Amino acid sequence: MQSKRTPLWVVSNIMKWILLSTLLALAILPLVWLFISSLRTNLELQISPFGWPEKFQWVNYSKALHMANLPRLLLNSVIVAAMAVIVNTLVTSMAAFILSREHFKGRDVIYTILTAGVLVPVISFMVPYFSLITKTGLYNTLTALIFVYTAVNIPVSIFLVTAFMKSIPKELEEAAIIDGCGFFKRFSKIILPLSRSGLVTAATFCFIYSWNEFLMAMLLTSSVESRTIQLGIKFFSSQFITDYSSMYAAVIITIIPSVGGYIFLHDKIIGGLTAGGVKG
Amino acid sequence: MQATGTQNRTNWAGRILFLLPVSLFFFFFFIYPFFFTLFTSFTSWRGIGAMKFNGIANYIKLASDPTFRKALGNNLIWALCQGFIQVPLACLVAIILVRKPKGWRFLRTAYYLPNVISTVALAMVWVAIYNVNGPLNAILGKLFGMESKNWLGNPDTAIFAVIFQTVIYIGYFMIVLLASAMNISRSLYEAAEIDGASTFQQELHITLPMLRGTLVTTMTLAMAYGMRHFESTFLMTGGGPAYATTTMGIDLYLKMDALRYSEASTAGVFLILLGTVVITLLRKLFGKSDPMSEMAQ
Repeated sequence: MQSKRTPLWVVSNIMKWILLSTLLALAILPLVWLFISSLRTNLELQISPFGWPEKFQWVNYSKALHMANLPRLLLNSVIVAAMAVIVNTLVTSMAAFILSREHFKGRDVIYTILTAGVLVPVISFMVPYFSLITKTGLYNTLTALIFVYTAVNIPVSIFLVTAFMKSIPKELEEAAIIDGCGFFKRFSKIILPLSRSGLVTAATFCFIYSWNEFLMAMLLTSSVESRTIQLGIKFFSSQFITDYSSMYAAVIITIIPSVGGYIFLHDKIIGGLTAGGVKG
Repeated sequence: MQATGTQNRTNWAGRILFLLPVSLFFFFFFIYPFFFTLFTSFTSWRGIGAMKFNGIANYIKLASDPTFRKALGNNLIWALCQGFIQVPLACLVAIILVRKPKGWRFLRTAYYLPNVISTVALAMVWVAIYNVNGPLNAILGKLFGMESKNWLGNPDTAIFAVIFQTVIYIGYFMIVLLASAMNISRSLYEAAEIDGASTFQQELHITLPMLRGTLVTTMTLAMAYGMRHFESTFLMTGGGPAYATTTMGIDLYLKMDALRYSEASTAGVFLILLGTVVITLLRKLFGKSDPMSEMAQ
């Protein structure tokens, strides 16, 4: 690889970097463009889609916050995502504890069924989810979304957390048993604290999914009291018809939590993906 | 555990208690919906009133439904583009990055960034980019003097405009392939190096064959995503213009919206069949059954 600077090597090297930088540009520049556009005036946007704002229009952000009921929708999204993460992590850590540390007949069957859930296209469940949520009186509530998001993430979380718990050395647990730790203590004092890192990975995937989800939120809610931010920027865009720059500001506001979380936790996310492959 | 099992009485109550919450969620949101969909697909039901059994009438109706056929065709285009453009592109990048060129960690992180951004936000950005007065037309006009086009409004370009926006985001498949490529033993390359094999020959005769299993998994997975594609098309074109970009998922949604519940369920059965059974079969066929390679859409 080193000393072979033949013309072919030079050409393929150049092509390699063209490919890498084109894909990089396609991943990053649309967001950069969105951010810059969110700081321009609508007049500037009309004259040309490109250009540096003459003056940063931070006012677009306060306009966005006031116009579209954004604070309420953001709060709903925070509640839904946080609750889904808490419930999902709690129930899957309990199940994963059994599936990884206890030995009994049928254990692997349960594991396979639960994780096979990822193969099912959830969009094909629009009718049953709608019917179930309406029948239980949960239509147009945050609870409905919390339940759905918790459930949809169960296969992925079970997979990640079980794999993590399996990697904890037996000796640690055996020492605790000798010290007289029972079933619940083994879970709460030994396995759970040692699984923190795996739980954070699962929680991150659950958060990103719940924060970004659109279809079920559209299907199961109908008013601002229980709508999430994703619906806000999609459907309330009618309020922005002529005010594109504020709309772009609103979109930027909605992507801050997931991009921010990604910047802090990207090692965990990439680690979780390579643990076996999970769609974020 | 086994050895210490005598001191530690098997706690069946605890086991059941701990498995119960997940099982309940799984029952209500996976098992029940599956059988509900299957059952209602054999009835005529409009959301209210009793379900009346009507055999395979919905299936016959769906098979001759021009919109559903168009949707199925579009899903096939999606599946092929994701399986045979997105994954090979991801594989190419993984093969480059596994050699750890300058900045490979940054690139790996950056390529995955769009995957954590909501489809709604990305769709809005790309609708703006494809706009008649948007950045894409501005760039093409400046560079090639091209006339402005309505990329998403033209039935010939709309589906490919949406597909492009998906296919270029290789992050997920690239990371999976890269991880697999990193597990290939370095000694294979060292031996090839000694034999005088060029980098290109090494990739062709070592990396690609070693990646075969992961490549099959990611391709079948990508095709499964293509078959169940819904969100970015729904958000960018709504399935239009004139059903040019509609997919089975969008068809299902519109049927449900029109209170044709049992027909929507029939479309759902097709989606499950094509999205789930097909990948399972393909994986079996290629003898690769990675227990987990999956989904959440």
